[in-house]
Amino acid sequence: MWLPFIGLIIGIVLGMLTEIRIPEEYSNYLSIAVLAAFDTLFGGIRAYLQNIYDEKVFVSGFFFNILLAASLAFLGVNLGVDLYLAAVFAFGVRLFQNIAVIRRILLTKWSTNKEKVEKN
Amino acid sequence: MDNQKINASFTLIAVLVGFMIAIQFQTVKKPAERDTRDIWQLREALLKEKELQSSLLSEIRSNEEKLAAYESKRKQSKEKTLKDTLEELRIEAGVTEVNVPGIKLKIEPVMEEIKPGAPVNRVVSPELLKRLLNELNMYEAKYIAIDGKRIINTTVIRDINQVTKIDGHAIKSLPIEVIVGVDDNTTAEKLYNRMKVSKSTEEFFIENLRLSISKPNPNVTVPAYDDSIRIRYMEPTKEGGDS
Repeated sequence: MWLPFIGLIIGIVLGMLTEIRIPEEYSNYLSIAVLAAFDTLFGGIRAYLQNIYDEKVFVSGFFFNILLAASLAFLGVNLGVDLYLAAVFAFGVRLFQNIAVIRRILLTKWSTNKEKVEKN
Repeated sequence: MDNQKINASFTLIAVLVGFMIAIQFQTVKKPAERDTRDIWQLREALLKEKELQSSLLSEIRSNEEKLAAYESKRKQSKEKTLKDTLEELRIEAGVTEVNVPGIKLKIEPVMEEIKPGAPVNRVVSPELLKRLLNELNMYEAKYIAIDGKRIINTTVIRDINQVTKIDGHAIKSLPIEVIVGVDDNTTAEKLYNRMKVSKSTEEFFIENLRLSISKPNPNVTVPAYDDSIRIRYMEPTKEGGDS
């Protein structure tokens, strides 16, 4: 259960150690990609907790969302319309929803556990 | 069952996400290096920067000086070209004295032919002079002066009351001297040889005048035209006009 968190920390440390810098003009794409990755990650967690987790959906969603977001941002830059805001909005909303669902699931789990303990 | 598998994929994605976050973090937030120098180090740095500034300023100044020098040189060269052109034109127009190779011709009465009691021919007719001038011009004479009077393009030679006048200067007595200047020594030599056998000599002789030709001189002085040149029917063209 703690492995993903360890993985996250390893990823951050790796990223920090490599000292890779992306040119300013591409930081928009990366930020939106990060957002998409977060969305997928939390979506995956939620699905796991709801027991509807499908690995194929998860992994493909991860890469597909990132690519879609980046290409949307690219299209927006080329068209002169801030299309990446649409992606930010969509991912942001979904992120909140996912987190809310996760919180509720965790809360119910926690309360049922408590009840169980009290019953015992 | 797939818990292991799920964990693995989650971990993989988490690593990726973490990596991306780290890169984004580094990109957006440039490492703010804390300035830990004390006042003396700061002063030193300031001094260094000021030195750099002054050296840059001096460099700019030297470059500007160079630029100014080039500019003035350019202007001067323009002026010089104009002056040269003007000088050339003045020489060509005949308002300057010139020292060039050339020959001297002398027109004098033929003493042997003077009969006692007969009047001595004291004038040389304008026609003769014109023929002589034409002949000289044919032989590439460039600068001609007759009796100290420079011949230019607008010079008139005419007979006024039986006195031959060149631009108002009367030829009163013989002998007179004709100074002919050319461009170089070979031309002078050629001119001399041609004049020796020219018809002018005979024509002068018919009128009891002798045209004696001196040997080519590498340095004859042709005087300047001393009147002002009046230009009545010429005016400068407008720049950019249709030509």
